Amino acid sequence: MTRNSRVAVTTACAVVVLVGTGAVARPVSYAGGWTAIEQTDRQATMALVHYSPTPTYSIGLRIDWDRRDDILFVGPQATWLAKRWFGEDYQANVYLFGAAGAAKGVGDNDGEARAAVLGGVMADWETRRLFVSYRAHGFEAGDLDATFMQAARVGFAPYVANTGALHTWLMIEIDHRPDNPEPIGVTPLVRFFKGPALFEAGWSVTDDRPLVNFTYRF
Amino acid sequence: MKKIFLAAAFSLVASATLAQHNHGADNDDGAMMDHAQGHNHEATDVVALEPAPASALEAAEAAGGELIVVDVLGVVCDFCAVAMNKTFAKRSEVAATRVDLDDKTLKIVTRPGQTLADAEIEKLVKSAGYRTRAIRRGDAANEARAPIDETR
Repeated sequence: MTRNSRVAVTTACAVVVLVGTGAVARPVSYAGGWTAIEQTDRQATMALVHYSPTPTYSIGLRIDWDRRDDILFVGPQATWLAKRWFGEDYQANVYLFGAAGAAKGVGDNDGEARAAVLGGVMADWETRRLFVSYRAHGFEAGDLDATFMQAARVGFAPYVANTGALHTWLMIEIDHRPDNPEPIGVTPLVRFFKGPALFEAGWSVTDDRPLVNFTYRF
Repeated sequence: MKKIFLAAAFSLVASATLAQHNHGADNDDGAMMDHAQGHNHEATDVVALEPAPASALEAAEAAGGELIVVDVLGVVCDFCAVAMNKTFAKRSEVAATRVDLDDKTLKIVTRPGQTLADAEIEKLVKSAGYRTRAIRRGDAANEARAPIDETR
């Protein structure tokens, strides 16, 4: 089985498993809503600005910078809310996303620009006290790069806050990157959430690198 | 660097938790004092077309607007509140809205002489990404949310 096939099969399996168990994330907004997202973890930095024509899908522009491999990806991304579960005290979602664009080497990587695609799944389940999520994605850019990563997260809110107050979460994220010298990463983090703004700060205890995420919903 | 980062994070969490503990105590007092008229939460609970004071909902009702309370499923965070406030604020019939995570409700006060039909409310809640469980008007609007029927 080729590397690309392994990525496709693994992603497909993740989707099947997650659709069967439930989940939630926020890559799709309300109808007419814009969202700006920045994510920096121990290996990569990503920025995404998206618009949601309906509450079931969003379209946006994604920029990914793999800092370890010095690869930059830019392209439009579409995200589809495959399933949402509503409960009295919880919400759960499964999202599928795909992006197509161009990737090239930057910094010490002199790889030339070429077509690239990215696809994956995000899922989470959330109450006002507990949070669980999973995400996985594969990236393919021909002979420039082909990678796969997955991450799971659990979180706990030390107090329950009402609308507009500062919400605080304590979380831990475990990520798996088969191509990384440290394939399993552990990152404790705190999440602050108030109104339309979400900020996360953490530290990878695996390789001493920060995690800084920010989301703003307009 | 790592130690500074961790110390800052710990301090922020401790401060937020302590501040919220005090805020929660204030909220409990307010709820006990005036529960029949709804919770008296802070100003940031209220969002209309422009940022509104905490009394905006009550003021809009006093001006002759109709109070409509929508029990909503899946409301667990501030992004849910932002979505519903923004969606309803686009409607000319709406004078003020407030999402209450504790009550799991969306409170709407219409402009005097105007109303929103149940079907329209359900459609707007859906376009915000959520689901309506019940819509209460009149005396029912000031009653506590009924427990969900798990057998449905």
